[in-house]
Amino acid sequence: MVATSHDVMPDIELYQPADEATALDLAARLGNEGWLLSGGQDTYGWLKDRNKTPSAMIELTQIDAWRGVKEISNGVEIGATTTLTEIANDPLIKSRFGLLAKAASVVASPQIRNVGTLGGNLNQDARCWYYRRGLDCYRAGGNICYADSPEGLNREHALFGASRCVAVSPSDTAPALVALDATMVISSSNGQRTVPAQDYFVGPDRDIVNMTALNEGEILTAVQLPNAWANAEFYWEKVADRNVWDFALVSIAAVFKTSGSTIEDSRVACGAVECVPRRLESVESAIRGQQRSEAVASSAGEMATDGARPLNYNHFKVPLMQNLVKRAIRG
Amino acid sequence: MGEIVRYKRDVWGEEVILGVSWDLLYVVFMAIIVLLVAHAIVMAALAKKNLERPTAEGRKVVRHESVDRWFHWLMAASILALIFTGVSPILGLRIAWLDLHWMSGLLLTFLVVAHIIRASFWQDFKSMLLVPKDFGEPFDSSRKPGKYYFEQKGMHWAVTVVTLAVIVTGVLMFMQIDTPFWDRTNSMAEDQLGLVFLLHGLSTLALVALAATHIYFALRPEKIYYTRSMISGWMSEDELAANHDPGQWSPKEAD
Amino acid sequence: MAYMHIGKDFTPPDVPGKVTGRIKYAEDYTREGMVYARLLTSPIPHARVVDIDASEALAMEGVLGMLTADDVYPDGEPQSTGLKMLTNEPTLVGEPILAVAAVDEKTAETAISKISVTFERLPFVLDPLDSLQPGGADAYNGGNTFVFRQGFAVEKWSADQVASFRAGNEPTAEPQQTVAYGDLEAGFGESSYVYEGTFTNAGYPHHSMEPRSALAYWEDGKLYLHGGSQSLTAFADGIAGVIGVPKEDLVFVNAATGGGFGQRARAGSIPVYGVPAKLSQKINRPVMMRVTREEEFTIGGARQGLTGWIKVGFKPDGVMAACDLWIVSDNGGKGGGADAYSAADCISVLYQADAVRFRGTAIGTNTAHRGAQRGPGQNQIAPIISPILDVAADELGISRFDMRKINTPMTGDVGGPQRTPFTSAYMPEALELAAEQFGWDERQSRRRQTNGSKVIGLGIGQGYHNAGRSGMDGIVMMGPDGRLKIHNGVGNLGTYSYASTSRAAAEVLKMPWERVDIITGRTDLHLPITSPQDGSNSIFTNTRAFYGAAQDMLAKIKEIAANDLGGTADEYDISNERVHQIADESVGMTFAEVASRAIQLGGKYTGSADLPEELAEWTQISVSRLAGTGFMGVFHDSIHEGNPPGFTVSCIEIELDKETGKYEILDLINVAESGTIMHPKGMENQLVGGAVWGIGLSGYERHLYDPQNGMPASTGYWQSKVPTYLDTPVKIGTGWVDLPDPENPVGARGVGEPAQGSVSAALTAAITDALDGHIFGASPITADMIINHVAGTSEDSVPLAQNNFRG
Repeated sequence: MVATSHDVMPDIELYQPADEATALDLAARLGNEGWLLSGGQDTYGWLKDRNKTPSAMIELTQIDAWRGVKEISNGVEIGATTTLTEIANDPLIKSRFGLLAKAASVVASPQIRNVGTLGGNLNQDARCWYYRRGLDCYRAGGNICYADSPEGLNREHALFGASRCVAVSPSDTAPALVALDATMVISSSNGQRTVPAQDYFVGPDRDIVNMTALNEGEILTAVQLPNAWANAEFYWEKVADRNVWDFALVSIAAVFKTSGSTIEDSRVACGAVECVPRRLESVESAIRGQQRSEAVASSAGEMATDGARPLNYNHFKVPLMQNLVKRAIRG
Repeated sequence: MGEIVRYKRDVWGEEVILGVSWDLLYVVFMAIIVLLVAHAIVMAALAKKNLERPTAEGRKVVRHESVDRWFHWLMAASILALIFTGVSPILGLRIAWLDLHWMSGLLLTFLVVAHIIRASFWQDFKSMLLVPKDFGEPFDSSRKPGKYYFEQKGMHWAVTVVTLAVIVTGVLMFMQIDTPFWDRTNSMAEDQLGLVFLLHGLSTLALVALAATHIYFALRPEKIYYTRSMISGWMSEDELAANHDPGQWSPKEAD
Repeated sequence: MAYMHIGKDFTPPDVPGKVTGRIKYAEDYTREGMVYARLLTSPIPHARVVDIDASEALAMEGVLGMLTADDVYPDGEPQSTGLKMLTNEPTLVGEPILAVAAVDEKTAETAISKISVTFERLPFVLDPLDSLQPGGADAYNGGNTFVFRQGFAVEKWSADQVASFRAGNEPTAEPQQTVAYGDLEAGFGESSYVYEGTFTNAGYPHHSMEPRSALAYWEDGKLYLHGGSQSLTAFADGIAGVIGVPKEDLVFVNAATGGGFGQRARAGSIPVYGVPAKLSQKINRPVMMRVTREEEFTIGGARQGLTGWIKVGFKPDGVMAACDLWIVSDNGGKGGGADAYSAADCISVLYQADAVRFRGTAIGTNTAHRGAQRGPGQNQIAPIISPILDVAADELGISRFDMRKINTPMTGDVGGPQRTPFTSAYMPEALELAAEQFGWDERQSRRRQTNGSKVIGLGIGQGYHNAGRSGMDGIVMMGPDGRLKIHNGVGNLGTYSYASTSRAAAEVLKMPWERVDIITGRTDLHLPITSPQDGSNSIFTNTRAFYGAAQDMLAKIKEIAANDLGGTADEYDISNERVHQIADESVGMTFAEVASRAIQLGGKYTGSADLPEELAEWTQISVSRLAGTGFMGVFHDSIHEGNPPGFTVSCIEIELDKETGKYEILDLINVAESGTIMHPKGMENQLVGGAVWGIGLSGYERHLYDPQNGMPASTGYWQSKVPTYLDTPVKIGTGWVDLPDPENPVGARGVGEPAQGSVSAALTAAITDALDGHIFGASPITADMIINHVAGTSEDSVPLAQNNFRG
């Protein structure tokens, strides 16, 4: 047995491109050997413990074009290296897309939000403790899952969409962006493409080693929020063991278009119950045109967990998810 | 492109086999292309000298019963589905491959079991048996085989071995995931699991090579009537006389 | 009693350094030529090292050497449980096997990654009940338990016995230890309410914020060790023996320690300090060994997990008639402590039960090293007993506060199976103070009030720990400048007791505080032995010693004055740094003059003669090095009588959301009864800090080990959930009784440990209250457990599982 290394940074090349073209060129050239770095909050743990061994880091925070909040023709565009604190405090986001401001404001801790970026939060890797420990599970390119087993410690893991891997989407901003019908702008040296937020996150059935649709050499450079859900009534709740510096056990992001107490339309997404933010389209259909009430909320809550397959230690996520959906709709 | 086997660390830090190195897929791919293209070129050169082909006209005999043809094509479809779904994640295609993969695998397993039973008790098992004297057949143009000639028997048994290997290892792997039938267990130690993955991978590579070879030969002009017989069931008496020994194989007349 | 210093706030001398960052912790030191050591730890929960191939590592440029268990234990590893410096027989994941030194950490770490260790894997076990099963694995190489002074043994129950316990019944196996007093049967016979049930307390790591890194180097035959410890001289005294260096040849440098909660007070808890010491000796370079958070998790100690059964009976008037406890303790991978016994002792003390029986068995598991953690045993039973008291009170129609008052210990009572009398016990006053400060009676109208999905819960908790020892030494010095130098060997783990205990000496000599120097922080400043800074004892124990040393100096001051100025010593008194005749204040000398005279006179006045006979060896070495250099007061404390208790009472109001399992702590107070309060701000720190950790014990913290492979899940702060700012109330109210204890010259006792237990107890009681009296029988109670209870769902947990989730 060769000893595993922990907790000391290895030698690694650091690139700090000052413009977009250089950064994209580096990303294309280095491919998976070039670790994309902005706030670094999901970086140093991997590198110090030598559980991921890229030969280089490409730091993206020097590029002004990828940072900041601005109006675009039919909405708002947020640069991917904008920090979470900046988003939480941005007047435009707070007034028009309060759901995202709220979600960004409860990510991790204030220290992490001050340097952590939107792109980093969206692209963050699974938090399954087996995977994070550096074990060679499916997600690490291996051939086994330690969590989804008769005795696996899978309390924080998925209720839905498991396909050998049962890790969940740990991001708080991701369900908010799915609920807001956001679009991800992906850049590479070949140009740009856009992907709807809901399609940006990938489950293990389609790709067990990557959480997002980013291909080698691509960089998430912006997120666009259409005005479709601007100024909508919203509900955000994150239930975690601790009230700060913790990942959600279950979270809910919902926006509503109402007239009086009637729900005309909505978008509802839950975090931390599946490898991707789980959009609850059946709930959205069920409550469309309904009056807000305890009965409607309760029945929507129960419907929300149809198809859940609890693991050893996450049965509690079923009533918790039901309750969060109920609370969101109850208002 | 150097390695055959990939390794990983097990949960206690010990190095164990992970599986086959999928760089070999490209090796197999290149090898197939090179070898089959070379064969085609050589055959094209020889074909100028040999224009005699038996005719499809005239009376017909039954080569393959309906059930056997169904079996063959379903088996072919399931194997192609298995290969496609199995190789997709390796090639980076983001499709939900796993359910389709094991469903095809279950279908294949059922078909293989059914075929083994039928072939053993209802068909002429000896006609497919490969015996030492068969190995001289390709070099002796005066000899005519029974129902199946040497290369056909060779392909059949190669595919049999590899398919059984891929099924057995596949079933062992199937027991390591959650399915509608069971929740996975942790029944295999990681080094055993790696060996199973390695054998499954090696069998897959072999199957890709064999399938490509089989399809190539099935489409060759001088063999195409065999392919036709697998679709429609019949051969002409002329084709029969030209290639087979009636003492070893005398099929009944087709309707 | 009007004191000059006692009971007043002051700024301890280490505070400016801590606020500015200038104070040095072990990792802040450098030394010319210093190299860095990194540890290679076991990836396997139970194994034997068969071979170590470090050839590639040692051939690397910049690598200076390696240390293995064979190097540090040439005669073989000690055949006992207990942490080893290094080992070839790891009994938990993360146990250090060898260390490598290199010119920088990166090289050392890369060298570690090139070492190939061959292990023989051995069966492992993570739950004491699994080990008690016939055929269950044994955690140690010699068995699954270690009998004190006898050795390893194998303890097994029948499969039925284990299953029955897991099903919630009283264990029927033969316990390793039984202690009892009173008539249990009669007690239950008289009871009109009896509660019976099983419970678990999770063990969890100490997670001292500063890991146990250390720097060691040898100079002129002396070993210099920079480390962190709860204790200073008590630790140094012990670590000399562990490393194998004579006491007089060890200098231990430790100005401040970033947190210590029971497993860095004594040398036996930090044998890993031997690693840089011996590696430095081997390669002849100063060695800095940095310990990571993950390594601190493994070797930094953890609380014992308890799996128990309790039966408590209450008479119609609320008196606790009988308590029967059966506890299986999780001793972890390196042996544990006596928590279970202490739990029973605590119930006896706090509730004065007529009859108590304790039966216990301690079994090893291949999990973190266990040892005393803040209130070991007392703080585990606290959250178990408090909801039971509340449910009993409701059943008997007695108010919950009255329930505590009816059963309270008071001065004159005895406690524990040894029936030891308290030195004093003002718990009734503490209960009154808490009830009044919290407004308990007024809040009852809000009890279980709902607001949508939220419900109010109210809880009371009590904490206890024995809070004083004696028999230690004190040294004070004075030079011709007349400044009082207090040579204080008390460690600085952040409680400021090194400074508070010094105040007693200043008090005796009526020295203005700005004229006092506390000499501490490194042992080559010649410090006396103290008790280890654990068990909430330092204030009581060392105040006695320093008071005595100052009294010795005072007697000598008066002697010298009488000698020079006439009359007898008892005709003199002191004030304003002068000794003068009582009859005529103009006749006198300044302290500075006295000190100069003392130095002239020498002999007993400068520590060169007539020393107390019973001074500890460490103190004798220090005194001999100080002898002749200044005016000295020196003292060896006698042994006190009775049990000086530390008590706390907490009250809490929470609002619990039944839909999410989360609660908000609306109000919390923590009140102390620990004799005279030496340092109010220090006391407030203890009560607030203890409260935060009590919230952790009851709400968040637990070990998690994977049953498939023995991997620890809770090595980092994500799964080891220490409470954060947003989990604790913005304001935690504090208060104290402040009545003197007769066995201490200024009336002081300690209180560090109970401060956690009472809050833990109150919180669990409040959760039970909010859920209409549902007793979980567990700590911690996490959000998922509450959600499951409300929804009627459950997890696939093994009943009474240790080191795993509870349902």
